Amino acid sequence: MVLPAILTLLFFSLYPLIYSLALSLSDSQLARPFRAFVAFKNYSDAIADALFRGSIGLTLIYAFGVTAIETVIGFGLALLLNLESGASRFARTLGLLPFITPPVAIAAIWRLIYDPSSGLLNHYLVRAGILEQNVAFLGIPGLAMVSVMLVDIWQWTPFVFLLSLAVLASLPHEPYEAAAVDGASPWQQFIHITLPLCLPGILIIAILRLIGAMKVFDLVFMLTFGGPGSSTQVSSFYIYKVAFQQFKTGYASAMTVILIIVLTILVTLLIGLYRRVQQRYGP
Amino acid sequence: MRISRWTIVGLLLGFTLIPLVFMVTTSLKSPIEIRISGSLLPAEGIFWVNWERAFRNVPLPNYLLNSLIVGVISTVMTLLIATPVSYAFVRFQAGGRFLPSWILGTYIAPPIVISVPVFMLMRSIGLVDRPLGLALVHMVANLPVATWMLMDFMRVVPAEIEEAAQMDGASHWGVLLRIVTPLILPGLVATAIICLILSWNEFLFALILTYSLRSQTFPIGISEFQGEHGLQFGEISAAALTGILPVYLLAMFFQRYLIHGLTRGGIK
Repeated sequence: MVLPAILTLLFFSLYPLIYSLALSLSDSQLARPFRAFVAFKNYSDAIADALFRGSIGLTLIYAFGVTAIETVIGFGLALLLNLESGASRFARTLGLLPFITPPVAIAAIWRLIYDPSSGLLNHYLVRAGILEQNVAFLGIPGLAMVSVMLVDIWQWTPFVFLLSLAVLASLPHEPYEAAAVDGASPWQQFIHITLPLCLPGILIIAILRLIGAMKVFDLVFMLTFGGPGSSTQVSSFYIYKVAFQQFKTGYASAMTVILIIVLTILVTLLIGLYRRVQQRYGP
Repeated sequence: MRISRWTIVGLLLGFTLIPLVFMVTTSLKSPIEIRISGSLLPAEGIFWVNWERAFRNVPLPNYLLNSLIVGVISTVMTLLIATPVSYAFVRFQAGGRFLPSWILGTYIAPPIVISVPVFMLMRSIGLVDRPLGLALVHMVANLPVATWMLMDFMRVVPAEIEEAAQMDGASHWGVLLRIVTPLILPGLVATAIICLILSWNEFLFALILTYSLRSQTFPIGISEFQGEHGLQFGEISAAALTGILPVYLLAMFFQRYLIHGLTRGGIK
């Protein structure tokens, strides 16, 4: 009964994979695919390409960095606001906004916030005496990366917060009642009850965020275009440039295949970690 | 303890709200003030000139209409496929354990990974720079999320009700259409809204697959802004707000469905 639907799904998930594999073994341009069979030349080129290796490093730094910060702040905020109150409901509604806002629009306003001559951040940081003079937040290697990551943190911490609230809401009452009888302090309750019980749920949220953050493209495209130099050139952006600005689709396909392999290994490891945590602390 | 808690919460709420407030105030400042001052609130009074210019210089309604067309077509297609598929996964264990995890697994891959094959495919069937082409791609991109969410809602439907209907001679499709669909309607609404928003916000495929006003969507419109007219932040803010507003209205009206759908689908 659902055969057509399932076939559609399979086609759309298998076709790009097979097509990319074929392209990656060929000398291909965007306008003229499959000019010659070159075996694994694209792969050896990609592995030797410092920009590509650098882009994978930047992607990992970005993804792990924002995930760690978003998880800690988001979960912490959920602990603070985990009570039915006006403030909590307000925070819940507000929390929806950042991650449903079009990333392109977000990037547009953050460009003005970071602007070296008339940006909000420079305006107030200089007035408060924290900065001596205006800083080009998006123009200095290293700082540019941190600035892009801050926008991601702005956008996705509320998402972690909302999901963390759901995790907290699913906790059983009995352990807390027992702990109260035993006279455990709030801190002891947190360390010995809340944290272990929440760990599997939090880990899933973190994995979701990590997968999402590995896809970063829009923010980089709009905020820095990979620069200054190649200091914010994450993999998605580098592959985009190679494929759609330099038109080297064969080479780009080899890079996508390598990226898929790296991601698959990473996610497999993380799911293994989740299973172990689940066994130890899960219900 | 109590004061420090509210200080932290206040700071974080401020951090969340300030960029959005800044977008609104920037769109209402005079272009000169925007260039010389980064203050949060307009000091020289309120001006509507950015809004006028945003609509005059860039065909915003055109971009928004394209976004709407692409969003609606892709969402309808996504639900038409994801609903029977998730029903089959949950009720008949179709595809065993492998197929559902394969479909969900495709969500891990960054969109850039399929961009080249998708571009080649769309070019060969003549759907580059067509709203339908972009809608097709958005459908593919949103299928894993939609299937995932719907599977979760389907699990709650008691099999007994369906069995009773089958006794009365209803076919599988009949059961799905007349029994299951009404029962999971809130789930369908949540899934539809999330698909709509994902499509509305999507940038990479729109960038690759659209070239002209015939199909360019709102995010592309915003990125074009930056190129053509230098950086007119007031106009960009006004234009960005115009595209954000429908999303926020949608989220406001369907807030309960949205939070429900997100937290259910996210945690399990």
